[in-house]
Amino acid sequence: MKKVHILGIILIAVAIGAIFTTLNNTSTYADFTEAAKNPGSEFHVVGKLNKEKEAVYEPKVDANLFTFYMIDNKGVESKVILHKNKPQDFKSSEQIVLIGQMQGQEFHASDILMKCPSKYNDGKPEETASK
Amino acid sequence: MEYIGEHLGIGKVGNVFVILSFVLALLASISYFFAAKDNDDSVSWKRIGRIAFRLHGLSVMGIVSTLFIMLMNHYFEYEYVWHHSNKEMPMRYILSCFWEGQEGSFLLWTFWQVVLGLMLQRTAKKWEAPVMAVISLVQVFLASMLLGITIADYHLGSNPFTVLLRDHPDFANIPLFSSPNYIDKIDGRGLNPLLQNYWMTIHPPTLFLGFALTVVPFAYAIAGLWKKNFTEWLKPALPWTYAGVTVLGVGILMGGAWAYEALSFGGFWAWDPVENASLVPWLTLVGAAHLMLINRNKGQSLFTAFFLAILTFILILYSTYLTRSGILGETSVHSFPTAGMAGQLLVYLFCFLIIGILLLVINWKHFPKQDTEEGLWSREFWMFVGAIVLLVSSFQIIFYTSMPVWNKIFGMNKAPLKEVVTFYNNWQLPFAFVVTLLIAVGQYFKYKNTDIKFFLKNISLSFFLSLGLTIIMIFLLNYKNRYYSILLFSSIFAAVANADYMFRVLRGKIKKAGASIAHIGFALVLLGALISTSKKDVISQNTSGKSVESLGKSFSNNDNILLTQGDTLKMGKYLVTYKGKRQEGINIYFDVDYFSKDETGKLVKEFSLAPLVQTNPRMGNVAEPDTRHFLTYDVYTHVTFADLETLLEKKQQTSDEYAPAKNFTLKKGDSIFSSNAIIIFDSLSVNIDKRKYHLSENDIAVEANFQVLDISKKYEANPVYVIRNNSIQPIESRVDQLGLKFMFWQINPEDGKIQISLQEKKSNVRDFIVMQAMVFPYINILWIGCIIMAIGTILAILERIRRSS
Repeated sequence: MKKVHILGIILIAVAIGAIFTTLNNTSTYADFTEAAKNPGSEFHVVGKLNKEKEAVYEPKVDANLFTFYMIDNKGVESKVILHKNKPQDFKSSEQIVLIGQMQGQEFHASDILMKCPSKYNDGKPEETASK
Repeated sequence: MEYIGEHLGIGKVGNVFVILSFVLALLASISYFFAAKDNDDSVSWKRIGRIAFRLHGLSVMGIVSTLFIMLMNHYFEYEYVWHHSNKEMPMRYILSCFWEGQEGSFLLWTFWQVVLGLMLQRTAKKWEAPVMAVISLVQVFLASMLLGITIADYHLGSNPFTVLLRDHPDFANIPLFSSPNYIDKIDGRGLNPLLQNYWMTIHPPTLFLGFALTVVPFAYAIAGLWKKNFTEWLKPALPWTYAGVTVLGVGILMGGAWAYEALSFGGFWAWDPVENASLVPWLTLVGAAHLMLINRNKGQSLFTAFFLAILTFILILYSTYLTRSGILGETSVHSFPTAGMAGQLLVYLFCFLIIGILLLVINWKHFPKQDTEEGLWSREFWMFVGAIVLLVSSFQIIFYTSMPVWNKIFGMNKAPLKEVVTFYNNWQLPFAFVVTLLIAVGQYFKYKNTDIKFFLKNISLSFFLSLGLTIIMIFLLNYKNRYYSILLFSSIFAAVANADYMFRVLRGKIKKAGASIAHIGFALVLLGALISTSKKDVISQNTSGKSVESLGKSFSNNDNILLTQGDTLKMGKYLVTYKGKRQEGINIYFDVDYFSKDETGKLVKEFSLAPLVQTNPRMGNVAEPDTRHFLTYDVYTHVTFADLETLLEKKQQTSDEYAPAKNFTLKKGDSIFSSNAIIIFDSLSVNIDKRKYHLSENDIAVEANFQVLDISKKYEANPVYVIRNNSIQPIESRVDQLGLKFMFWQINPEDGKIQISLQEKKSNVRDFIVMQAMVFPYINILWIGCIIMAIGTILAILERIRRSS
């Protein structure tokens, strides 16, 4: 066997390893119900902020703690405890992606991604005040 | 309706240029194809091809100039101009507006390829026809991206000259357009303020030149396969490949520098899909360059050289697809919005993929057979190994980055990993180790075979020197992770060994030292990246005293610090004070002073940083960092939360009044917070000096004792609960230094709980920010490495050109 072949085999093994670790990634998009069935495993939950309920951020007490209520895409609501600062544009968020796990009745999120209204498409032609 | 004041003529001119550029690229491609096919006796085809490509070049210049004129004159009747510019914007950002959109950035790419094509027409000599046929074909596809015509309901490209604002489907039925002179009344939407900085002026042209340069080795490789001339293309293609390595490499790191300086990613590299999409072709291009070099010198690894040269360009097309088709969706912070070009991009990708694969397969059996195997102690063998490691490393990156693509193809629903940066780092660390080790020893191997004793003797100096340096560094940096330590060694070894090679073996002949210098640069980039990332120190640790660890180990995120205006907190080796905020245009700056203590304990101001929040009308509020650069480390800060409303309302709270009272029910040991202090309910006492409070002996009085702690001092508050003549007449207690007033209203004798009210002075409510600060040590090694690498590759290009002429 040539050296190149040995090299080839090693590299194919590494490549398969790369494919395997990628596909073996257990993080999936889910809803609160599914997350509640598997407490302790990590999910990405997509939903909307419940604007009627209180969102509490007391940076003086803990700058890394923020609680609010989110309704997932199936309409299920859950209390969310985010272990991070309150994102600056929280109120205007259109869609939220939480990364975390269910613990009892609360969803403990370690990270949050937000989609703000039409990041690129907002604004329509309008008359300017001057002229 | 007749509209007044529109400039529709210039759009028609631009559109003519767009059509011309497409048709002429097609003509050039066909003519060059026949010229290449029929070989030398077809001077006439070649002439047509030449003229057609030059005219195509002129049309592209025409498109560029027309679009510039439209942007500079604010012709908002065109959607592109309205979308990307406005009247207030400083003129220096006009370039940025030009390439902010899909159309403009394709135009930039096309422009660079025209420049390269015109250079190749002069330099490629006998390779001109086949190489230019390929480049012209690429131009046909790029030009089609601007066509903006609809064939049987399919939109081909997007044309900045034909899409008028008033015709745009999104803006139908806007009353403004019922006025004939609407054009006098509107202003553009403007360039996204986040992009209004000099990075947006220099990063895209550099990156797109790098993209464009990858087409040259690709075209040469295709030409070589096509003309069955398997080795001669290497010599003219090599300097272009090196140029691609330089420009694309610098372009990518510029992107990193931009992210570090102006965006709050918290670092220079986030393994973002868009970053990966340009890193991966760079890695394969580096692999291609090395294999091409092996073949030039020893005639080995020919197939792999072809494969990587072709793959690099295909990966460029793939990365274009990833970033512009909208498929990345939410997984990337800065992918382009979709513009319905996904299908077209896929056609483009598959067309060149099929051409490449077909030519490789057809020629498979024609490749010169390799009768001797590379020796184990030969330079070519280890260079080959290095190139293959780069290929596997890039495979890992692109395979994971393509997750949204796999999701779509296989109907999966996988989300990106939370610790995606760690995931990539762990995977790439062994590759980086092998690559740096090979860089270190590579040049000490000779082609064909190396006398191993001679090799060991030569390398030993660098080896022991690097080992010594590494041990010192491990000690200095207090390195505990053994994998990082190994990479630390291999990177230092790579830099030292190449420096040694340059001075001792090449005797400092700078002209020949291009490769060594480039390798030193690359090793330093890795070294800087390794140290600054692994020893990144978040100094803004949570000092609130409340442990978030108690909530579970996985939630130990306490990277944010709360700074209240006027307070001084310890952060790392500094003491920091938040001074206040100020507004400049749409930017709100937060001034934070950094102090250190001198020998006498006095505070000495070291520097000030002003991270900002941009109230971006398009993207909401965006934090931008501010960084203090020192020779050996950077202090990087950004605001993660700030109360912007108080600023927007411009309320000055100087009043001496008390705000409405807040009520609390407390038991012994409970604590509550005011805006400036922690208040602990300590005890109750009945033994009070009634005379002091002017109470009579019949009055019932109970005193509550509170400890009031602010950041530096301890105070006491003692409100008294009094029952006099069957009515409650509490006596207040004030802490004037903190502007607090306590009242004691009730005692529940059963559970010992008391009810109090707390009032604060309005002026008490001080402004605060939540901030993150981190120290990046030795990040300058990375930037210096980048410059050294660029210098090295430029020297190598010059040497190649000198040798071939």
